[in-house]
Amino acid sequence: MATLTASTSRSAIVLRSAAAVLGGYVFCWGFIALAVAGLYALGMAFHDAEHLGAILAFLLYLTAFCWAFVTPSLRRAWLALAGGGAAMAAAASWLQHLILA
Amino acid sequence: MFQTFRQAMTWLHTWFGLLLGFVLVVVFFFGSLSVFDREIDRWAIPESRFAPQPMPSFDRVLRPVFESMQPSRESVDLMRDRVNGPMPEHFDVVRQWSAYTTHRDPVLGLFAGYEVPNAKDPEEAVWGERTIDPRDGRVLSDDHFKIGSQFFYPLHYSLTLEWREIGYWIVGFSALMMLVALVSGVVIHRKLFRELFTFRPDKHQRSVLDLHNMTGVVALPFHFFFAFTGLVIFAGIYFPLTETQLKPLHDRHERIEAAETGLPHDRAGVAAPLASVDAMVAEAQRRWHARGMAGDVGFLSVQHVGDANAYVSVYRAGTDRIALTGEGIHFKASTGELLREDPPATTVDSVNEFLTGLHLQHFRHWLLRWFYVLGGLTGCVCITTGFVFFVEKRKRQHARQDSRGARLVDAMAVTTVTGMLLATLGILIANRLLPETSPDGWPGRGDLERYVFWGTWALAMTHAFWRGAPVARGERNPAWREQVLAVGALAVLAALLNWATTGDHLIRTIRAGYWPVAGVDLSLLAGAAIAFLVARRLARRTPPRARTEPAHV
Repeated sequence: MATLTASTSRSAIVLRSAAAVLGGYVFCWGFIALAVAGLYALGMAFHDAEHLGAILAFLLYLTAFCWAFVTPSLRRAWLALAGGGAAMAAAASWLQHLILA
Repeated sequence: MFQTFRQAMTWLHTWFGLLLGFVLVVVFFFGSLSVFDREIDRWAIPESRFAPQPMPSFDRVLRPVFESMQPSRESVDLMRDRVNGPMPEHFDVVRQWSAYTTHRDPVLGLFAGYEVPNAKDPEEAVWGERTIDPRDGRVLSDDHFKIGSQFFYPLHYSLTLEWREIGYWIVGFSALMMLVALVSGVVIHRKLFRELFTFRPDKHQRSVLDLHNMTGVVALPFHFFFAFTGLVIFAGIYFPLTETQLKPLHDRHERIEAAETGLPHDRAGVAAPLASVDAMVAEAQRRWHARGMAGDVGFLSVQHVGDANAYVSVYRAGTDRIALTGEGIHFKASTGELLREDPPATTVDSVNEFLTGLHLQHFRHWLLRWFYVLGGLTGCVCITTGFVFFVEKRKRQHARQDSRGARLVDAMAVTTVTGMLLATLGILIANRLLPETSPDGWPGRGDLERYVFWGTWALAMTHAFWRGAPVARGERNPAWREQVLAVGALAVLAALLNWATTGDHLIRTIRAGYWPVAGVDLSLLAGAAIAFLVARRLARRTPPRARTEPAHV
């Protein structure tokens, strides 16, 4: 079935899987955080924002997970997923700060 | 890393599918059984074999039982290191009493939460639980283990690994991998429509792959939906944002909500009596009726018991719709004055309730229930044929290379598939054979039943690995056939033991129309029949000549 190319070393597989699992998780964490804080700031009920964020996040996780295996550059996968997630989480914290202030 | 998109998807499908398949098959199987968890409870607790009952009178039946309750020893022990100082002997401040029933429950579960003095986190509580006969308030022994709803069901979503919720995380990750396997599986095959109608029996490896594709495609929407909604149900565990990063925002929302709803978040610290809860329930039912809704009470709770801030919440049993709704109505506990009626659900709420409700099925629809079982078992077939295909494809090559990979995977497949069936039958048989009460110094009856379950599974695993040598030579593991035969024999034995120990044989239960027990017995016998057929086929399909044949594909 899977005939792996010569460049597919064990460490490449591990790093790829880690990017998909952990990077995908960080990305979805950031997404839900931003969705909850952002939609709540826009006037949506808190639990609605929470549920909507979660429903979309799992579909997003699925997409991010597959994408991490498909995209050619491992660095870009890590940067987009973990970096993007961290940026969204930071934005959520900032929004929270503004709402509570 | 991979040369093509399809190659990447194939790799994902093969390896993540294999690794998490061992978990997924367990989740699918016990999920299928959980569809009828209440019925399995009836089979396992003969004294509860009577018709489902409505929520009984609170004032006459429930209140005396609640007042006699205390937290369980396990709950107090768990709390011990989260308290500054010693734990009290007696817990006096009741945070919540609640009772929960469904349209399939003859017995009623009661729960009580107590405040813990000097708790490090004052939000935490200790809990007690009782099961009663709602007809007279008689308390059922705690030792009567509800195998369906308290064991098979938690196995489905947490593998009963409670430590740091690790089981939930394993199951959640597996559910995500189920979604990945479905997406990658579709990418690999492309000829989706044709797979629906393709099954070529008696072509060895090709038949296995056909069956894998067919079961995967036929039930694709079902599998996708259940893996997805399962994740949504436990989203709060997988992404605990509102308890961590967004806790300040969440706390603000809770304060606003408490002010808006008029339902007090905390105790007032002033003692107050409890008015007639039955009158409040009657009022709630009158209000549901006025809205044209079925008026059975599903969930009843009293918050801040004994305090001036106490309130009673009455929720409807959602037997008439898919969405998991409650239409809660809340009353001031000391006077019975109406505090609040839950407003109609918002759009997002409706979507969420529909998604979770479709997974949790509190509605009353027996045919749909059986479709759920069928869908779940189709998933088991899909995953199992995936294992078999993995092994069949590689075992001859591995035999030539003197690699043990195929042998290991095959033994694990035997363990998780037939071993799991044996463990399930083991706990049912133990339930019928163990004495009513354990001898002094022994673990409780429910604990013994669980030990038999895990013990049987460990034995099946030992057997699978011990008999696995032929796989390393490119042949079939005889453990498959031996365990399938054992499944057939034990399933018949379980049905016979039910007859011998309770007198409820099939003719009697079918005549009486008592389907919870008749259904379990019939399923056991149908399972046995399938097992014997499979064993026959497994014997036929390993003629000595075939063993040396080269692979066809």
